[in-house]
Amino acid sequence: MYGYVAKRTLLVLPTLIGVSIAIFLMVRLLPGDVIDVLLGADTQVTPEVREQARKQLGLDGSYAEQYWRWASGAVQGDLGDSVRNAEPVSSILRDAAPITLELVFLSLLIAVVVGVPLGVVSAVRREGSSDYLARVAGLIGVSIPSFWLATLLLLFTSRAFGWVPPLTYVSPFDDLGANLSQFILPALSISVFTMAIVMRMVRATMLEVLSQDYVRTARAKGVPRRRVVFRHALRNALIPVVTVVGFEVGVLMSGAAIVEIIFGLPGIGNLLLQAIFSRDYPLIQATTMLIAAIFITFNLLVDIVYGFLDPRIAGG
Amino acid sequence: MSDIPSDKARSDSPGGGDLNRRDLLVKAGQIGAGAVAAGSLAGAAKASPARRKAAPPRGGKVTWALEQDPAHIAPFGGILTANHWGKAPMYESLIEWDVKLNERPALATSWKVVDARTIDFTLRRGVRFHNGKELTAADAKYSFDLQLNPPAPGSVAVLGQVPAIAGTEVRSKYVLRMKLKNPDARVFGYLAWNRYSAIVPEGMYGQVNAGREGIGTGPFRLLEYQPNSHLEFARFQNYWKRGRPYLDALSFKVLPDEQARVAALRAGAIDGGTFSADSAKALGQNRNLKVLRGLTAAFRELQMTIKPGDRKPWHDVRVRQAVNFAINRQEIINRVYSGFGEYSGHVPPGYGPWPLTRSELRDRYEKHDLPKARALMRAAGVANGFTVEMTTFSTPLDFASVAAVIKAQLNRININVNIVAQEPGTFAANNGRGTFEWDLTARGMRGDVDGYLAEFNPSSTAYQAWYPLYRNVRVWRLVGNGRIQLDQKKRIPMYKEAQRLLMNDVVQVPLVAVSKFQVVRPRVANMYVAFSDFNTGLHTSVYIKR
Repeated sequence: MYGYVAKRTLLVLPTLIGVSIAIFLMVRLLPGDVIDVLLGADTQVTPEVREQARKQLGLDGSYAEQYWRWASGAVQGDLGDSVRNAEPVSSILRDAAPITLELVFLSLLIAVVVGVPLGVVSAVRREGSSDYLARVAGLIGVSIPSFWLATLLLLFTSRAFGWVPPLTYVSPFDDLGANLSQFILPALSISVFTMAIVMRMVRATMLEVLSQDYVRTARAKGVPRRRVVFRHALRNALIPVVTVVGFEVGVLMSGAAIVEIIFGLPGIGNLLLQAIFSRDYPLIQATTMLIAAIFITFNLLVDIVYGFLDPRIAGG
Repeated sequence: MSDIPSDKARSDSPGGGDLNRRDLLVKAGQIGAGAVAAGSLAGAAKASPARRKAAPPRGGKVTWALEQDPAHIAPFGGILTANHWGKAPMYESLIEWDVKLNERPALATSWKVVDARTIDFTLRRGVRFHNGKELTAADAKYSFDLQLNPPAPGSVAVLGQVPAIAGTEVRSKYVLRMKLKNPDARVFGYLAWNRYSAIVPEGMYGQVNAGREGIGTGPFRLLEYQPNSHLEFARFQNYWKRGRPYLDALSFKVLPDEQARVAALRAGAIDGGTFSADSAKALGQNRNLKVLRGLTAAFRELQMTIKPGDRKPWHDVRVRQAVNFAINRQEIINRVYSGFGEYSGHVPPGYGPWPLTRSELRDRYEKHDLPKARALMRAAGVANGFTVEMTTFSTPLDFASVAAVIKAQLNRININVNIVAQEPGTFAANNGRGTFEWDLTARGMRGDVDGYLAEFNPSSTAYQAWYPLYRNVRVWRLVGNGRIQLDQKKRIPMYKEAQRLLMNDVVQVPLVAVSKFQVVRPRVANMYVAFSDFNTGLHTSVYIKR
């Protein structure tokens, strides 16, 4: 088991290096750099001034030199400075990351808390009205874009109740109530897709498990129905769901980018989009690396948990 | 330019209707001693109803939505317009503009052109910075030194907007001498624009994080800036303009998504913001909201490259003229901008005394005349037309719409326009390098009229990149001499003449100036859409209705 965990952990390193190189090249291959974006067609800027500005922002030198500068700094914890506001990227991320992580956590929580019971009910009452209702809801859930739902929720609450979430970020440690009122709509917006996926996955695996011999045996032995469903069936049905939830973290992170902008939350998704539009290379690199690291970490955890839940996998 | 006398009572409101108590007393004094005496006897608490009505009440807070994060609020070297939105309430310069872009004294009470390369500025006495320090010439010198070499988070890239200032020297506690590298009339507009020319206390960059904090002389002092989130300002009690500002506090919330701004305004979470024409129209149906509209310096323009190599049909001036006459600007305004816009020349309408008149543009230079356009195409030998690639921005969406209208209009003279929409960064890179055939682009605010015509100076980078084959010595002379002529009155006919010549050569085809919409709650009084694209009214004229 320990060998399995070590092997999975070691694989993270080359993945992150690969991601960093890919991101580094991709953002630089985009036409136009931060100076072009900022100055546009400013007719009064000489090429010398443009070059001086690039140098000021550390955009001089070959790609290899620039990557080496960035990578050697990154391993020492220095992610560089944002070219938009000269703030250390690490401190920008430190401010933004908790917001996105909270948003993703709450979304995941909503998705699991609502999606799992819905999937169970749907499987247990197969072909019944609640099953049809849950399946239709699931279909709608996977079809609705999160940004559309976010906008709709915002407009609805403002029109119907004259209420919008607080516009300034409130930390949960300062005021939990205000924090939750701020996060509930965005979390709901991006959780719907994952909720639907979880519900459908639970339903499918539950149906499969419920038809297994050991479930039939338990029923034949007179084990109460509730106990059969929750102790025997659900426990085994949740194993593939864990994998799906791990992957869904990536989906939630990408959904967070747009939803954070809609709700004015200063998280890393919001940050990343602004960084891309303004060609803020250090910030793009660090933010995408952080997102990649979170995604990889979650998948690593899923792999490890999977190994624990099903020792046959860890055993190879 | 001759000496400018000290300023008197002023008003920043569009209609000039907001008078402070001091102004009222001055006016009362003009009416007659008897009236003043009567007013004095009655006492402030028993002022006449007319006086009570005229004096805007003080107090209250306005929360305004910004559609873009300032990124930083450093006083020097900030390129984005949003940078200035964030810093404008706290910084001022030596000169300022009124709402009609007339220059007037601000932190300098007067200035004297000693010779073509030397200007002495006399600073206003008794002005305090937000940290309590008095403004002196040493502070101004420190500020100009940084303007000429903006430290991070500013960028030296803004130096293209800075006139030919060689340096400054302190002549006395309140007199600053500015030395120019060469005569440069842009200095005054540069100062009045205040986008890059703030005055800060000496040593400020060593005392605060200039990207997130600031010390100025402006009407509001910064309490907090949280990037991507909000800015909070409080009224500066020792502001040198007595009685101003009217608000006790000003708050900016960063809300890039328009629907989020709509929802926040409807819910009363913000007092106002900027909106698209469509959203403004929808919000205007709500009786609890007020729509403000005004032209800004942003106008749309069609640019063409005239470079060596392949001879393109539009290298012939008759083809360019045909394009100009085939474009129906009113149709663009009606179809894309819901009827809200104006014909624009090379200098946008509303930019002080510099643009061509409305009738000149509508009835002559930009008159839609399809038969004339066809005749010009025939005369140029391209009656059968040609195909051209027109690049434009993918966002905002109005560019694609304008491009589609132009495509349809030019199709009538057999020009087949292929529209290519590019992401803004890509577009900007290609435009700057001149790697395009035609570009449908936009212009913005400039400190001086020269900013709109400098690209017709053959020594400019843009000229070399865009149209090195274009020749018009008269234009060159007018643009070149206009920059070094320090007498503004003499400059006006020069720039008007240059614009008329350019409207004949149409190397660039100015199209339309678009309206900007801001929607406010009714309690926000005296707000206006500033031509500069800033939110100037918020920190100069706005007050809360009781």
